Amino acid sequence: MELEDLTLMFEKAHFIRAFEGALAAAADAGEVPGLVHLSNGAEILELAVASALDLPTDQVTGSHRSHGIALSLGVDPLALACEILGREGGMSSGLGGTQHLIAPEEGLLGSNGIVGGQVPLALGAALSAKLLKTGGIAVSYFGDGAANQGAVLESLNLAVVLKLPVLFVCENNGFGQSTAAAYAAGGTSLLGRARAFGLAAAYVDGTDPVEATKAADRLVTWVRDTGSPAFLEASVPRLSGHYHGDKEVYRTKGGSTGDPLDRLEAMILNREVTKGLVDGMKSRASEDARAIVAKATAAPDVSDKALEARVAEAQP
Amino acid sequence: MTKMTIADALNKAHHTLMEADERIVVIGEDIRGGSGLEGEAELGGVFGVTRGLAVKFGADRVIDTPISETAFVGMATGAAMTGLTPIVEVMFCDFMGVCFDQIMNQAAKVRFLSNGRFDLPLTIRTTMGAGDGSGAMHSQSTYGMLASIAGLVVACPSSPADAAGLLKSAVMAKGPTVLMEHKGLYGHVGSVEEDLPAVPLGKGRLVREGADLTIVAVSALVHKAMEAADRLAAEGIQTEVIDPRTIKPLDEVLILESVQKTGRLLVACEDAAFAGFADAVISTVSRKAFGGLKAAPVAATPPDTPVPYGRKAEARWLPTAEIIIKAAKSLMEA
Repeated sequence: MELEDLTLMFEKAHFIRAFEGALAAAADAGEVPGLVHLSNGAEILELAVASALDLPTDQVTGSHRSHGIALSLGVDPLALACEILGREGGMSSGLGGTQHLIAPEEGLLGSNGIVGGQVPLALGAALSAKLLKTGGIAVSYFGDGAANQGAVLESLNLAVVLKLPVLFVCENNGFGQSTAAAYAAGGTSLLGRARAFGLAAAYVDGTDPVEATKAADRLVTWVRDTGSPAFLEASVPRLSGHYHGDKEVYRTKGGSTGDPLDRLEAMILNREVTKGLVDGMKSRASEDARAIVAKATAAPDVSDKALEARVAEAQP
Repeated sequence: MTKMTIADALNKAHHTLMEADERIVVIGEDIRGGSGLEGEAELGGVFGVTRGLAVKFGADRVIDTPISETAFVGMATGAAMTGLTPIVEVMFCDFMGVCFDQIMNQAAKVRFLSNGRFDLPLTIRTTMGAGDGSGAMHSQSTYGMLASIAGLVVACPSSPADAAGLLKSAVMAKGPTVLMEHKGLYGHVGSVEEDLPAVPLGKGRLVREGADLTIVAVSALVHKAMEAADRLAAEGIQTEVIDPRTIKPLDEVLILESVQKTGRLLVACEDAAFAGFADAVISTVSRKAFGGLKAAPVAATPPDTPVPYGRKAEARWLPTAEIIIKAAKSLMEA
């Protein structure tokens, strides 16, 4: 991987991290209507996958934890922040909110409030790509928790049966909310599950920028070239709670994992990027994110007017 | 005008629609049938509604699925979000219990959650209705429950012309529409215009005019209501029969005008005894035409139990022409 690509990934990853941090602060200040599920720890993997996509021809569905996915795909951060804060300028003027982010013009078909609910929808995007011959593929992110949902297991099977161009990306962070993956799964091999359905499947360390990029590239290319589905299991740490404010009483002491952003930082420092430059990128990401969330916070809440329009449309 | 069955009218409408628009795909279990087997066997759906489509339009557009309602209803929803116009079949509405998340949370909500930024041209066809010994899990009628979900349009045809016409309107609609076909009516013959014109969603049909009493009846009960009306007429009671055709949006104007004229309302349907379609219509009329009522409205619904299996039990469970007549007379005497 070129240093330039790694540096770009570093900047973007830090922006996502800072964006989530600024949102958390806004939530603490009472500016966010609901609970937010932060993406901290998954930035590298999501940026690696996004870099392999042809957007917006390719369409992505994500889970309740999709702020980072949206940013990785290039969704306008201000529109995203406004949507999450329920403000004017949000993609859906605040009617959707943090768990229902919709930006198909950037490739985000939708994120979802139902664990696993987004996965069948991606099959539809793949079917459209196949029949309308767009050359696109679909990508569906879900977690290890969703891997126990019938919707996901049915979708793995149906994608193979109908030979749909879809890449399933299972972000394994070891937690389904507060329940350990090892407890919740009868058999813990997610690759084994995927392969049992006839899927091409691979594992990657989602904290390794180089390997994650390679794996994403390889599988996306394979899905696009063969028109067949594939499955990528990526281990990513969940550095924050299930939601922001989660006291995480279930976390075992000393069980914390390293931060993939530190790993990326060490990599670029080793390749002749100066500490000053690195610190500059970090503080710029932080300033940018804070300014955007501040701007969103200052925007008016017009969601009631958006609701009125939808109510009027629902009238017979 | 020509005569055909509801099954044939639906089949013909599918052919016409798919010929006219190649974005239309049909998805479901056994809709082609025989997939993966040797030979040319084609089932065309368990009631034959989709027969001949696969041969004509190919397996890419007529998609047999595994028995995975969640995955394929979700797939149809995602396809409708991205440029296709799917008609997805859920073999029996009871099976919606399997895939309710994709209907209630995904298909019904996505246009709202996008703040109307895109349409969702999704048609969900399903069957309903008791009377053929299919028992509790292949016989219920859930249109009231489905209509209570914001974002869904629900229609229940009782005639071949309405079945074909409502299917056409569903396919052209901006949002998701559930078309519920009564199993006992597939063989029902009626007159249709050659080109099977679209029937607007949200418009009911005045099936019979009468001055004394309004019966709002749905699907198979329309025919039982007509039988009851004939017999009531012989006794000097003139019954108006309204087929709402669309459950939601309900043609309130047609119903309210009728009740203002007759002053008496009877709702006959196979839907839930509690908080179902009958209750919704009675509530609407009570709120909006209270002053015009001469008697308390009456509901002829099944009892609040699952559909039973034994012949006598099932016959007792279903509203009949006799039950409608008895209810009508009680209304006249009130």
